[in-house]
Amino acid sequence: MQKDKIRLFLMAFITISVLVTALVYGFMTTEINIGSMIPLFIPLIIVVFMIFFIIRRYRDVKQGMPLEDERSKKVITLAAAKAFYVSLYWLLAISWFESFFAEKLFNGQYLDAGQTVGGGIGGMALLFFVFWFHYNRKAELV
Amino acid sequence: MKNKIKELRAKYNFTQEQLAKKVGVRRETIVFLEKGRYNPSLELAFKVAKALKIKIDDLFEM
Repeated sequence: MQKDKIRLFLMAFITISVLVTALVYGFMTTEINIGSMIPLFIPLIIVVFMIFFIIRRYRDVKQGMPLEDERSKKVITLAAAKAFYVSLYWLLAISWFESFFAEKLFNGQYLDAGQTVGGGIGGMALLFFVFWFHYNRKAELV
Repeated sequence: MKNKIKELRAKYNFTQEQLAKKVGVRRETIVFLEKGRYNPSLELAFKVAKALKIKIDDLFEM
């Protein structure tokens, strides 16, 4: 119980850190284009998901239920595996954006290295949440 | 897998939350178990059967 609360507190701390970092990035960036917006919006979407997740789990832990059980662990494992697989295509898409679409569609607005890596990692995290939601709500784990 | 969790839970006047606490899982797991949308591990199946005072093979059916 106490251990679960500490884990939730750590999750909240990481979420706040991501939010603060994204906001600082948002205020510091001078360019407004697709490349500079990807590393801003993806973390913000993740933060919204995390806030929803933490509030729900905190309510459950307060009522004496475990933070994780065998089903939730299975959901996380399946979501992580699928997110990894699909994120390979996401990373491929970013590299195509760099080499082709940026020039053709966005008037040569290329991503710098930090934006590419940030977009890649953020996209992986976003995919993880999408698959987590799918397996947690919709899918039959039989 | 079909099961009698919902009817036995009603028989013993357990809420989903109470049963979840008894067997040490989250409430959602009980919801999915009752709907037959999650196949539990053998350990969890035994715990649920014990909490509902029934034999495991009477609780679950293929």
